[in-house]
Amino acid sequence: MRIARYLLARLGGVLVVMAIVAVLVFVLTRAAPGDPISVLLGDQANAEDIARVQKVYGLDRPLPVQFGLWLRELAHGNLGESIFLQRPVTQALWERAEPTALLSLMAIAIAALIGVPCGIVSAVYRGSAIDQACTGFAMLGASVPSFWFGLVLMQIFAVSLGWFPVSGYGEPGASLAARIHTLVLPATVLGVLNSALIIRFTRASMLDVLGEDYVRTARAKGLPESRVVLKHALRNALVPIVTVLGLTAALMIGGAVVTETVFGLPGVGNLVVSAVIRRDYPVIQGALLVVAVIYVLINFGIDLLYTVVDPRVKV
Amino acid sequence: MTDGIHIHRRTAVSSLLALAATGAGFPVGAQAGRSALNLAMVAEPPTLDIQSTPADLVCIIMQHVYEPLYTFDAKAALVPMLAEAMPTISADGKVYGITLRKGVKLHSGRDLDAEDVVASLKRWMEVSPRGKSVGAQLADLSAKGPLSVEISLKNAYAPLLSQLAMASGMAAIMAKETLAQPLREFVGTGPYRFKERKPDQYVLLTRFDAYSARKEAASGYGGKRQATVEELRFVPVPNANTRVEGALAGQFHYADLLPIEALGRLEKAGGKAVPIMTPSFGFPYLVFNTKEGSMAQQPVRKALQTALGEGEMLAAGFGDTRFFIVEGNHFPKGTPFYSDAGTAAYNERDSKKSKTLAEQAGYKGEPVRILTSRQYDFHYNMALIMAEQLKRAGFKAELNVVEWATLLQRRGDPKLWDIYITHSGLFPEPMLSPPQLGEGAPGWWSSPAKQAALAALNQEPNPAKRGPLWAKVQQVVYDEVPYIQVGKFASLSARSPALQGYTPYTYPFFWNTSLKS
Repeated sequence: MRIARYLLARLGGVLVVMAIVAVLVFVLTRAAPGDPISVLLGDQANAEDIARVQKVYGLDRPLPVQFGLWLRELAHGNLGESIFLQRPVTQALWERAEPTALLSLMAIAIAALIGVPCGIVSAVYRGSAIDQACTGFAMLGASVPSFWFGLVLMQIFAVSLGWFPVSGYGEPGASLAARIHTLVLPATVLGVLNSALIIRFTRASMLDVLGEDYVRTARAKGLPESRVVLKHALRNALVPIVTVLGLTAALMIGGAVVTETVFGLPGVGNLVVSAVIRRDYPVIQGALLVVAVIYVLINFGIDLLYTVVDPRVKV
Repeated sequence: MTDGIHIHRRTAVSSLLALAATGAGFPVGAQAGRSALNLAMVAEPPTLDIQSTPADLVCIIMQHVYEPLYTFDAKAALVPMLAEAMPTISADGKVYGITLRKGVKLHSGRDLDAEDVVASLKRWMEVSPRGKSVGAQLADLSAKGPLSVEISLKNAYAPLLSQLAMASGMAAIMAKETLAQPLREFVGTGPYRFKERKPDQYVLLTRFDAYSARKEAASGYGGKRQATVEELRFVPVPNANTRVEGALAGQFHYADLLPIEALGRLEKAGGKAVPIMTPSFGFPYLVFNTKEGSMAQQPVRKALQTALGEGEMLAAGFGDTRFFIVEGNHFPKGTPFYSDAGTAAYNERDSKKSKTLAEQAGYKGEPVRILTSRQYDFHYNMALIMAEQLKRAGFKAELNVVEWATLLQRRGDPKLWDIYITHSGLFPEPMLSPPQLGEGAPGWWSSPAKQAALAALNQEPNPAKRGPLWAKVQQVVYDEVPYIQVGKFASLSARSPALQGYTPYTYPFFWNTSLKS
């Protein structure tokens, strides 16, 4: 019963977030200068041409009417149709779901594989050369721009060695393996750079735990150091690490824009940025709503994961 | 549709292992047994409707699918494309009789007929900004037989055929049953047919095997078109550096519009990529608001013109001297419309004289709002220099830097700007660009001298006499300063050594090219 009530409350939260995002996104996109039809028709169109095409897309109607129509469609699960892509927003999002999901998964795996071990080693050997190296790497990762790192990797592994494609998400009809292959470099960029934050969180969290009495007790019992660190300390340090991993994953859904642009990946971030540049209102509104929902769901997932990694946390 | 986002762990791992085992080479070029060109474009096209937008990118892609009645050859002369021959023109220059080539196949398999042409041109005159200006001259447009079309004009209008031949915002001939707004099906007569669009991934065109080619030798956009390569893949690669790297890595057979700074790397690439420079690719120009604000008065605009040093502006915009030409003539030397009329007022860079002229014109320090964007770096860099030149001459220059969509919207409101910066391709007919030569374009230039000079140019059917008449228009442009042509610029692209037979043009095309294995 308690779980059901909790889930219901979280669902209510999602609906409230969606309502706020819907209003904000609509108001902000329409308050911004520029309009999609000027972009669509280009440099030579005059005011009369623009007005004619605005009518075709219903953009000549008063804003409250447009908002009402959009809400009505939303209630039917319809996010509208892109002005530029000539397809429903849901389809445009679905087409980008695969590269974004795979890129996020691969990047977060790389980030975790680098970040967690480095953070642990750094905490265990605090003040040593290896700690200095790890914290130095974390500082570097936090300060290197992703576009620069992307271009460097591209130069070495794509241009010089020819191991990976420079850009794109595979040729027409490419297999899943070929598509994953295109994601290796961008996932490495995102993974390495995001691992910096994970190193720092893991290190800080482990340092807190390693100073606890029960760790001293475990050592006093004569347990091997590896068991002390990996079972007793790490288990208790996991909550903040899981939090930062979850937040990093959530940010990647719409926030890997620079990496997607540098590597020419057709992801959600790229879609949103293109839509903003072109003022493709239905896409901006629909994509941001969906990203907001995913964000809330990921946070919800993290909350549930707390109960797994730390039995003291109750729903 | 995608294949979905769920993959089994074992599948993913085995895929990665398989890739590692095979050296993880990327399949550059064609899939087995199918020749294909990977063509890196600057962005995702805003639409595939070539009639409705003059966007270069849409033209570059869809000119392979659609064809016009006439086109330009290598010497920028008009030649027939879907028309059998040049039209018959009545003595008063008002009636054009056009006969279509027989047996031209549409991509749907049906033969092209006069009804398709009439319906397509009518649509073009409704949806295209240039088409509308032609439509304003139209008295009647009708089919006079299965392959015969007649265009009747209210007055003689010499640019008609050039307007019908222009590749961007093309008067494209489409299958009449596909005409709609917005366009959903793309059925033309070109050497390639539309197959698939995956936004932000590619637009895929495949060879049209029943293509009806002309018999004449290929020349420019004219003559015989032959689709040797089976597939054309137009891939959006918005990051310019990525296009450079892709060209160097051999991933792209052609990479469009590269940063000028990349020329050195391309030249030293040891033959991995071949740099392509297209001279006199286009011209940047400054549009003045002649309706409201500080630039509404012609004497003030003239004073401002005197302050400008276009050479400095071009140097700031393009850097390398191989990529710009400081010249006031609107058309290059050696072309029918070359003239130096009015060019004494070009690149004067005389702040003292400008100040005096401004005072005489009654300029009292009103702000000169320069609307520009960073969409194109050279626009912004030129604006910076221009603002300094104007300040030196006593103008209160204010830079208003917005992003491109905002600029496109704001330039439509005369209350928001005094000068905006843009650019255009350089075309063989004056009336094709800039739009300020027509009526109603931002800037709202209208004057008796303009009307008289343009009427004389547009009503003169003899091409030999149109050159001197253009000189008079150019003189009026220098005198009234509705816009300033800053100079000419070249573009940089690159091709793979494997791409054979490619000839650079303003709108790159890939028929008559082949792929060296």
